[in-house]
Amino acid sequence: MIACAKTLLRGDASEIAAWLATFDGRRAMHCALWISLGCGIYGATVGLWRAPLQAAFTALKFPLLIFLTCAGNAVLNGMLAQLFGSGLSFRQTSLAILMSFATAAIVLGALSPLTLFVLHNTPPLGSGAARTGHSVMLLTHVGLIAYAGALANQRLLRLLEKMSDSRAIARRVLLSWLAGNLFLGAQLAWTLRPFIGSPNLAVQFLRDDPLRGNFYEAVWRAAGHLFF
Amino acid sequence: MNTTMNPPPIPRPTLRGLVFEPMPEEPNPASVLETLLKQPGRIVHDLHHRSAAGLPIWLLGLGLMGMALYGLIVGMLSGGPQLWVAPAKMALGTLLAMIICLPSLYIFVCLDGIETRIRTVSGLLFAAVCLAALLLVGFAPVGWIFSQSTDSIPLIGALHLLFWIIAVGFGLRLLNAAGAFFGSGGRLHLKLWNLIFILVCLQMTATLRPIIGRADTFFPGEKKFFIAHWMDTMAGRTEKR
Repeated sequence: MIACAKTLLRGDASEIAAWLATFDGRRAMHCALWISLGCGIYGATVGLWRAPLQAAFTALKFPLLIFLTCAGNAVLNGMLAQLFGSGLSFRQTSLAILMSFATAAIVLGALSPLTLFVLHNTPPLGSGAARTGHSVMLLTHVGLIAYAGALANQRLLRLLEKMSDSRAIARRVLLSWLAGNLFLGAQLAWTLRPFIGSPNLAVQFLRDDPLRGNFYEAVWRAAGHLFF
Repeated sequence: MNTTMNPPPIPRPTLRGLVFEPMPEEPNPASVLETLLKQPGRIVHDLHHRSAAGLPIWLLGLGLMGMALYGLIVGMLSGGPQLWVAPAKMALGTLLAMIICLPSLYIFVCLDGIETRIRTVSGLLFAAVCLAALLLVGFAPVGWIFSQSTDSIPLIGALHLLFWIIAVGFGLRLLNAAGAFFGSGGRLHLKLWNLIFILVCLQMTATLRPIIGRADTFFPGEKKFFIAHWMDTMAGRTEKR
């Protein structure tokens, strides 16, 4: 499992391409374990700002969000990979995306002591500086998750270039996967909310009636309130 | 005619002026400190090739002792309980910063394509901190002179910060040179980690405040980010001498 993580982090496209060529279920299992571990630990530090119970909930929900996004888009991503001529099978597509998420999860897991330290220094909910604290926490998480995501996608692009022997095809495939994963991922994150937890609302695993409404409607309404 | 041909000397692996070759003797405090200053490449080489725990333990111990020693100078501004509080906080803050940043250092080193073990990475971090501590001890007499000649906490704080930046700069330079020696490609992630380590250390000045000046409790009651703490200090709203 450690060797799997090291190879993913080094991002040696030739070695990872060989993994894809000879499918091994244990590698997929290792990636899934790294996602559970890395995103679970990081998720706990995200929710801890609100309450310890929220930390436990977010530790479960963050990996769940990744797995649901992978599963929900597995068929579509496989089709897109074949349509754009990458030569990847459905199974290879799923494993490549799982490895990409595992890379991001390992990086996030390693950064969780840092977020815990930021959290320790953040003014608590009841204090006068709670607003500043909330902003700092939010920006820290956005920055770190964006960094881990960008890094994982850069590795994935390199792998796709290796597998398809074409930079143009690799870019097209990656962009189509990203679009699909972001579209579904944003909605799933909305359904699985709260992750950080609002100071004014109760700590819950899911909000009441979680399937009601969607992310895009909420964004539309927020934009409406702001501009009209 | 019988002539003896001497084999050509084996070229020593050098990089950025550092020679990466084995240490000539078993590590002890004196040899570790001397090698760290004169031939830090030997320390890097031994950390990479030897699995004995002696060298990393010496580096960690000497690093923390050096930080505590410099903390004593910092505490001399106020005297009294600060003579033990400041050294304790300097050593504790350094140790906590290393614990917080070690996992990300290992991962970032891997991201830069370096094949190494967590033991080696830990040893390199200890070596960087030990070198920084050693330089701070070198700055200690200057720091002491100034601490006896002023009552201004912002001034003495800025001076200690300047010394700390110089010392940590040398420590991180060693770490980056080791990264290059191990064959890191771009070292982009290692550079980013340098920034993270510096920010964590700077935040420690607020988490464990006051390190300079007196307070009624060992740990502060209120949570603050370091920039807010520094602003308050400059405005004279916090510690007393």
